[in-house]
Amino acid sequence: MKTETPKNNKHKLNIKGSVIFTATMIFVVVILFLIALNFRLNLKGFKRADEAREYDKYYVMITDNYKSDFWKAVYRSAFEEAQKDNIYLELFGESFATNYSPEELMKIATASKVDGIIVYANESNQMTRLINDASSKGIPVVTLYGDNTKSHRLSFVGVGSYNIGREYAKQVINIIKEKKSNESTEADNTEQQKTMKVTVLLDSNVDDTGQNLIISAMQDSIAQEEEVTEDLKLSFSNYTVDNTNAFSAEESIRDIFHVEEIPDVIVCLNELNTVCTYQAVVDFNKVGVVDILGYYDSESIINAIDRGVVYATIAIDSKQLGEYCITALSDYYETGNTNQYYTADVRLIDKNNVSEYMKKEDKDE
Amino acid sequence: MSRFLDRPLQYKIISICVFANIIIFVVNIFLLLGINSMSMEMELVYQDNRHLNRISDALDDVQDSMTEYLRSKTSDSLETYFMADGTYSKLIEQLDGRVTELSFGRMERNIKYMSQNYLSEVSMTVEAKRGRNVEKYRVYYENATELYNYISEYITSLNLELLVSNSQHYSELSELFRTYEFISFIVITIVMGGNIIIITSLVGAIIQPLKKLADSANEVAEGNFDAQLIEITSNDEVGIVSNAFNKMLISIKQYIERLRMSMEKERNMQEKELMMESHLKDAKLKYLQAQINPHFLFNTLNAGAQLAMMEGADKTYEYVQTVADFFRYNVKGKKNEVTIGEEVTLVDNYIRILNVRFSGDIGYEKQVDNRLLGVAMPNMILQPIVENAVNHGIREMGNQGKITLKVYRQDSFICISIGDNGKGISKDNIEKILSGSWKRKQDQNDNNGIGMDNVISRLRLFTENENAVEIKSEGENKGCEVIIRLPMDEAQQTETEI
Repeated sequence: MKTETPKNNKHKLNIKGSVIFTATMIFVVVILFLIALNFRLNLKGFKRADEAREYDKYYVMITDNYKSDFWKAVYRSAFEEAQKDNIYLELFGESFATNYSPEELMKIATASKVDGIIVYANESNQMTRLINDASSKGIPVVTLYGDNTKSHRLSFVGVGSYNIGREYAKQVINIIKEKKSNESTEADNTEQQKTMKVTVLLDSNVDDTGQNLIISAMQDSIAQEEEVTEDLKLSFSNYTVDNTNAFSAEESIRDIFHVEEIPDVIVCLNELNTVCTYQAVVDFNKVGVVDILGYYDSESIINAIDRGVVYATIAIDSKQLGEYCITALSDYYETGNTNQYYTADVRLIDKNNVSEYMKKEDKDE
Repeated sequence: MSRFLDRPLQYKIISICVFANIIIFVVNIFLLLGINSMSMEMELVYQDNRHLNRISDALDDVQDSMTEYLRSKTSDSLETYFMADGTYSKLIEQLDGRVTELSFGRMERNIKYMSQNYLSEVSMTVEAKRGRNVEKYRVYYENATELYNYISEYITSLNLELLVSNSQHYSELSELFRTYEFISFIVITIVMGGNIIIITSLVGAIIQPLKKLADSANEVAEGNFDAQLIEITSNDEVGIVSNAFNKMLISIKQYIERLRMSMEKERNMQEKELMMESHLKDAKLKYLQAQINPHFLFNTLNAGAQLAMMEGADKTYEYVQTVADFFRYNVKGKKNEVTIGEEVTLVDNYIRILNVRFSGDIGYEKQVDNRLLGVAMPNMILQPIVENAVNHGIREMGNQGKITLKVYRQDSFICISIGDNGKGISKDNIEKILSGSWKRKQDQNDNNGIGMDNVISRLRLFTENENAVEIKSEGENKGCEVIIRLPMDEAQQTETEI
């Protein structure tokens, strides 16, 4: 027995020793593992350019104002459509420190050899030249919303201006009807025929075919409704809003209210004019006196309809608009040709259906 | 591990230190690697901006040299233009032409393509100028300048955007760096703590045997030689010392044991000697008490013997001489040991005296091995026994009494037998005599005064054998025999065997 005890003890000591040894090893491994983990965590989260998604094609969208809700909505839908085909669509101008005009952006895009240009064009000769220049360098150009018919553009994506004109006409007639019934209930002593003044706010760009189409469509449609207008004098006038520089539109719209004869109905043909007019009506305390027919369904415009300041607005299906742009360019690359015209739907929003759109807005948020 | 434990102490301590240092070293290397890669990342943060600035400078060079050439048309400016053109093309080549979801990537791409356009425009301008095509080079120059402005603008925008993102990146990095620093600090602290624990436990394991050794040594120093032996767990220096200590402890114990034994032996011997002496003194005292003055008696008897010889009374002479010899034995016998022969002679004398006293009543028979007569034995042994045999055995038997004395060898013993054919002794009495519990009657004064118990105890002491004396008796009137067994040493044995 005596000889065995030291052996046992030695064995015990060995076990203790190996426990210490193992614990040490585990300790070292754990420490190294912790460091490695820390290291990895530290370097994670830095997305380098090589890890970013790469695209096959690169289109740019050139607008007059990349900040407007309308263009943003169009861009969003077009962007999503482009993503499906692994194409990157950039809303051009966003990344520049200076504000470039669409013409300058066209030049930059052409020099940058992009794969496709979507441009809010006008009928100016300069634009024609730029579009032709781009297409001569093999860059397909799609005009969006505003066309340049003389150029070699691939196709035009826009709204049916004639339809819009008719829609406005309907609303003008509705306003007339309402005013009539109001007056007849209030007082029957209206021997004196009242003149209804309708003013259409035009862009200073006179060559805009879309604008002209809208106005003529409006006039035609109202002329057809003779029974409504027979005992009413209806005068149409065009007011050209000066938008040559950044803030002149607002100033020139306010000028309308400084003259004696304030129009009964003001028809606005873009988002900015609608907002400016709405604000001017509120500021000059002419709510209920002046009815506004607006354009586009931005949140503030919809809210204005809800409050009754804006009578109605025309909503363009911006999603469709954006999708058509990409479809046109993709068709060109796939088949070498595409439709000359794409027309997006328009909808009317007035007091009756404004709640729907407000709900939608809430949902979107 | 056991192999490690068997290594020398120095090796063990050094390897523990080296091991701890290696852990710290490895951990530090890892941390340094982390810091290194992070600092590299930090260096790279503004790399893009630097590259863009170089591009911008090169672009300016191209534009300036072209303008200079158009203005002066010197060959120097042309050369400068070509050089600038080369530099710019090279820088442009490095730009990434891919389209990615990152806006910098796309801007880079656009700058690349615009620059290519610009360079071709510039080279056309220069060509036109050289060809003196005034109209064309003006147009080209205007185009090129326009592009130059756009590119500059683009680069500025990209630079700004990159700066914003890089600054953010940089601040993220520096925050991460601080976090990393903190974590590194914690890791190093943990490693240090772990190292301390490891070193403590390992050194403790190594030092433990030494502590045990010290404890054990202290215990021994305090006089506890029964301290437990140290377990030897390793074969290092401590193990060797422990082993030596164990051996020392064992030898000390053995030495102490031996010392104790020899001391005890010595004490026993002294005791024995003392007892022998005291018994002898006792015997002598009793003898002297009995004989009062043997010298006087002896001299008187000698004088009587001479008188008898002168008178021609031979028998009287012989008798008186025998009595004188008998007493002389005691007078000269100062020593403890005598030979068997001397004792036998004493018995002879005693019997002769008795025979004269009792006119030849006692028959005396001797069977003596003469070779054994020189062997030593205690004195005053045989005579008292014979006296006893005469007094208690055959006194009343008259002429029939007979004493037999035998000296012979039996195995390794010398046997001296004194037998008689007298009354015999009962078994109980034999036991009483041998155990020393026989009570002598006070008035029994008819022997020389030396009792059997004295004889027996002296014999036992001398032979160191409890059975040195044996008394045999076959019953009433069948006589009695006392046998003394003396041990023979080897010299005597060989002597008697020759």
